Amino acid sequence: MPGLLVVFVVSLLVLWALDAVAGRFGLYRLVWHPSLFRLAAFVCVFGAFAYFLF
Amino acid sequence: MAAVDSTQRTPAFRQVLVEALREEASVWLLVVKTLIAFFLTGWIAMRLALPSPSSAMLTTIIVANRQSGMVLAKSFYRGIGTVVGTLVAIVIVSAFAQQRVLFLLSLSVWIGLCTAGATLYRNFKSYAFVLAGYGTALVAVPVINAPLNVFDSAWARMSEVLLGLLVSGVVSEAVFPARMRDVMRRTGREQFTDFIAFVRGAVGGVVPREAMENAHLRFVRAAVTLEDLRSSVVFEDVETRARSNHLRLFNQRFMATSTSFQSLHHLINRLKRAHRERAANALIRLYAPLRKGLDGPLGAGLAAQALLPPLVDARKAIDADVVSLRASLADAQDLRDFDTGAALIRRFADELHDYVESAAALQSSRPFPTISAERVRFDRGNDFLGAGIAMARATLTMLALGAFWIQSAWPFGSSAMLLATVFAGLFATAPNPTRTTWIVMLGYLCGMTMAFICLFFILTQVDGFGLMAVCVFPFIAVGLVMMFTPKTASFGLGWAFGLTYLLGLNNIQVFDPAHAINDAIAQIIGLGAAAAAFVVIPPAVGSPWLRRRLMARLRGQVALAANAPLPGLRHRFESVNNDLVSQVVAQTEPGSADSRALIAWALAVHETGRAVIEMRHDMAGRDVPDALRPYLATALDRLARFYTSPDVATYVAARDAVATAISGVCEHDGQAYLLEHLSLIRMALLDSESAVAAYMPDAPLAKEIAHAP
Repeated sequence: MPGLLVVFVVSLLVLWALDAVAGRFGLYRLVWHPSLFRLAAFVCVFGAFAYFLF
Repeated sequence: MAAVDSTQRTPAFRQVLVEALREEASVWLLVVKTLIAFFLTGWIAMRLALPSPSSAMLTTIIVANRQSGMVLAKSFYRGIGTVVGTLVAIVIVSAFAQQRVLFLLSLSVWIGLCTAGATLYRNFKSYAFVLAGYGTALVAVPVINAPLNVFDSAWARMSEVLLGLLVSGVVSEAVFPARMRDVMRRTGREQFTDFIAFVRGAVGGVVPREAMENAHLRFVRAAVTLEDLRSSVVFEDVETRARSNHLRLFNQRFMATSTSFQSLHHLINRLKRAHRERAANALIRLYAPLRKGLDGPLGAGLAAQALLPPLVDARKAIDADVVSLRASLADAQDLRDFDTGAALIRRFADELHDYVESAAALQSSRPFPTISAERVRFDRGNDFLGAGIAMARATLTMLALGAFWIQSAWPFGSSAMLLATVFAGLFATAPNPTRTTWIVMLGYLCGMTMAFICLFFILTQVDGFGLMAVCVFPFIAVGLVMMFTPKTASFGLGWAFGLTYLLGLNNIQVFDPAHAINDAIAQIIGLGAAAAAFVVIPPAVGSPWLRRRLMARLRGQVALAANAPLPGLRHRFESVNNDLVSQVVAQTEPGSADSRALIAWALAVHETGRAVIEMRHDMAGRDVPDALRPYLATALDRLARFYTSPDVATYVAARDAVATAISGVCEHDGQAYLLEHLSLIRMALLDSESAVAAYMPDAPLAKEIAHAP
């Protein structure tokens, strides 16, 4: 359980970095539903970590 | 005729209906979103077999909010508060598990400290402090009889709260998100157009003092509102986050520009009043090119971009006019006044240009490239004694109930104590906490009665999560609708909390009427104790005492301007000023004597403080002869002393020190730039309409200004 929490926090950081880049260049303006897109991106990141680590 | 009438009436009726429905619909959308989060959290918590799913569900109600930015901001700080709270709980339990007195003492002091911290912050940061406090109690108190379980208790509480936050965040972001970004954009745009329109209207004329005061209040409010919005929107919108510094800069420049603008107009007003028409008219003419510079459609973004070249031209025109206008004046006094005003006009034109520039860049897809070297922050003005009162109240409430708990050995004493602590902390910064707590208590009572009916007459008949959700739905929905309707917000809050608390939904539902009734009584007593605490130790917010202290701090800002280290001082001065003024404004009735005294002082402080800062910048940047420095230092020191403790003696001392400094500067060649600031300060001191007029030795004492806080 703690292992997963660490992964979760790390993926939050990754998402934050992605957000910073996307916000800098206004990439989210090209997306229909930005928050849904962010959520999906987060699930992808988190899933990828889980897939490769466990 | 009848047909005509009905066609005329129908649209009006339909419009009313549509508007009412739209408002209702927004409330119900919010309720539906909250309920989705509520039951989803409950379901996940039960699947994960967390010990108390109902506290996870309670979290979703607590963070429920209209805009997703608010939800995320509140969640963020609630998360931080919970983590800190549980960690402290582990420390306290590990240190004082065997000592109930020390245990309660340390717990209540910690909670008091957190409550005090909460009063020092506006918006959700203060919430993080409150939570760190009572989060500790929620973890530590239930395990007091079995200290070894503290780790499990901490783990459970943390998972429940974080789960609730996660689900709320996802739901509010993904299901019909309401964006606060748009509100912020609109506020920023309005601030810009309002200010530019005001400047445009004022250029080339005299603005009456009242219009100036009203405008000042409006600008202060605009600056503080924008900062408040920014601090929440950064959680919701990534582009805003990337541009956060730029927004701050925009706001800082706004404050700086409006201060210079006010100084300029006060100067012109003073010259007019003193019948120095020649100097005043020369200044007005010098100022005129700006009007041409500001002509054009208003609006941030592209429209602001279009304003930039004319403003540059206007600045050049002003530079060109200075020489010819100066040549038209002969009198030495006129010349000095003109120089002071010309310096102010130049400063104002430069600042206006910067402000328009940052407004123009706000909407471009590229972030603003030149973030200035000066630290861009919005500082707040805080009052530590008010915080001390909040601390004493929270600590004493908890100690009193803790002592009662120990003495009476009441099995539900701990839950009464917990709830009292929670509300003593939560409402410490509310404007009328006794009343609010009372209403929440009534809501709690109704909610718990409903919970009793729901639990023992309905839930006993059904089985499974789906049916449970259907049966709880009508009860909780009523509470949420009230919670999201501004008029009944406190009552609905109590209702939703009480209902969720007493239902105590869990995998293995406990049906124990005696326990439920005892628990309900404990909750009511806890809330009553919190309300009583607010009566016994009344909150500082809104009291004349705190207002006086805030005013004293506002005046102390001049001392800050005179003494604090220079880097970043301009921004610090402006932002603390505006925060203090808006705090006092929130506590005074508009139009009352207090309010007028406040504005009078605020204007004086703004003007003199800025002049002092500019003068210190010039002193630091240029070569001031050593013989001159002591005079200037004395003048600054006396000014600071007058503003910190205004009376006739300090007023005379400040006035004379400034006059001495001016004559000292006149004796040295090439120091004329200091003269501009000094004569501005002097004129502000001699202004018979400002707040300082009450301290002039020969003036009849204007009571309401002299004795105003």
